[in-house]
Amino acid sequence: MTAFANRRLRVLLAKLGMDTHTIGVTVIAHALRDAGFEVIFTGLKQTAEMVANTAVQEDVDVIGVSSLSAAHMKHLPKLAEFLRQKGAGDKLLIAGGVVPLEDIAQLERAGVQKIFTMGTETKVIVDYLQTWWAAKLAAEQSGG
Amino acid sequence: MSQTAAGIAAGVLAREIGAGARLIRWLEEGDPRGRDALATIYPHTGQAHLIGITGPPGAGKSTLTNALISEQRKRGRRVGVIAVDPSSPFSGGAVLGDRVRMQTHALDTGVFIRSMGTRGQLGGLSRATFDAILVQDAMGYDVVIVETVGVGQDELDIVSLAHSTVIVSVPGLGDEVQAIKAGLLEAGDLFVVNKADREGADALTRQLELMLHLREQTRPSDWTPPLVHTTALTGQGVATLTDELDRHLAMLKASGGFAACLKERNRHMFESLLQEQAARQILAAALAEPSAAQLISAVEQGDIDPYSAAAQLVGCISLKFS
Repeated sequence: MTAFANRRLRVLLAKLGMDTHTIGVTVIAHALRDAGFEVIFTGLKQTAEMVANTAVQEDVDVIGVSSLSAAHMKHLPKLAEFLRQKGAGDKLLIAGGVVPLEDIAQLERAGVQKIFTMGTETKVIVDYLQTWWAAKLAAEQSGG
Repeated sequence: MSQTAAGIAAGVLAREIGAGARLIRWLEEGDPRGRDALATIYPHTGQAHLIGITGPPGAGKSTLTNALISEQRKRGRRVGVIAVDPSSPFSGGAVLGDRVRMQTHALDTGVFIRSMGTRGQLGGLSRATFDAILVQDAMGYDVVIVETVGVGQDELDIVSLAHSTVIVSVPGLGDEVQAIKAGLLEAGDLFVVNKADREGADALTRQLELMLHLREQTRPSDWTPPLVHTTALTGQGVATLTDELDRHLAMLKASGGFAACLKERNRHMFESLLQEQAARQILAAALAEPSAAQLISAVEQGDIDPYSAAAQLVGCISLKFS
């Protein structure tokens, strides 16, 4: 569709709470940029509500949270709740970092749609987002 | 959220940030719903004080914008911000980090910050940015700040067509005034020496004063651009800068410059749209000519010079605009 020649996936990358480890999120940001995505970074020490507001203002498709401080069970469900409250529940919420496997099911129930655990290659994340984006665009086209 | 043009336009006029953000996205992507919604909100534009902020990378534009938002909020104004950052020319992707410096305002409902990548489309950046400004303007933001690295014609257009163009420089970049490109020096309505607590600020100030004096000699005007010292990180000098911005706005309103600036911006948008659409149609018509393929390969082989080939092809186009 030529009318949508400028359609481009927008991703918000966020760090919540007192978690100040930035290397992982920086590596991801560069990988997503190189895949042709537009990445917006919130910076550090954000609250769930700040991230949700930012996601609305930037009209991103995806919110990716980097969590390395073991506070994921506290922040992620709250973020999912704020996104729903602010009418942004249709955006894809994903997370990555130090997340024990036994927490994943509960986070998924809370609305985190995908969790990438330690050691995930950036290519895996890029592939996941590309597949998700292609499906979203296809659904838009067929839905009119 | 409604996904129709009428629904989004109504949301924009009801000052819903989500609707504004969605409309900016539609306009940026060329979604036909964007044009329809824009037509609806258009009569509500033309009120905001548009401030363009530019300067070399590392000058502290985002930090200064952040401090300006705080000061404008203190004065009771609602603030919209468009932060433009370069896209990668290789992948088309971008890391937009300007708003990292502005997140203190993330919970303030009177502030709407939107990041934009330059995306590299022909003439498209200034159009997409002006579209976003129109949306924030229609949402009733009293002040709209556009922040961009002033490199390239498009970005120069954006800042120079603002009501108040602020040029930010910092000491320590080497030949400081070199960093202010020729066009920017002419376009500036206000000049800022940021990081004014650093060594070299005095020397930079003297150089800027000299340049502005020379500008005054060649292009006299009623407005003498003020030179303001700031330390954006602490907020030092930002109240003075805001006073000067207010004074500039009052001068524009009294002199008719406010309306004239808007007129120029409207005309610029119209001409760039015309140029873009006409160029696209003419190019398509030219490439549809039977002789086009042959001419292209002749140019590639060096059998004919590109000037003659282009003239020949344009000569045989028959244009039928739909």
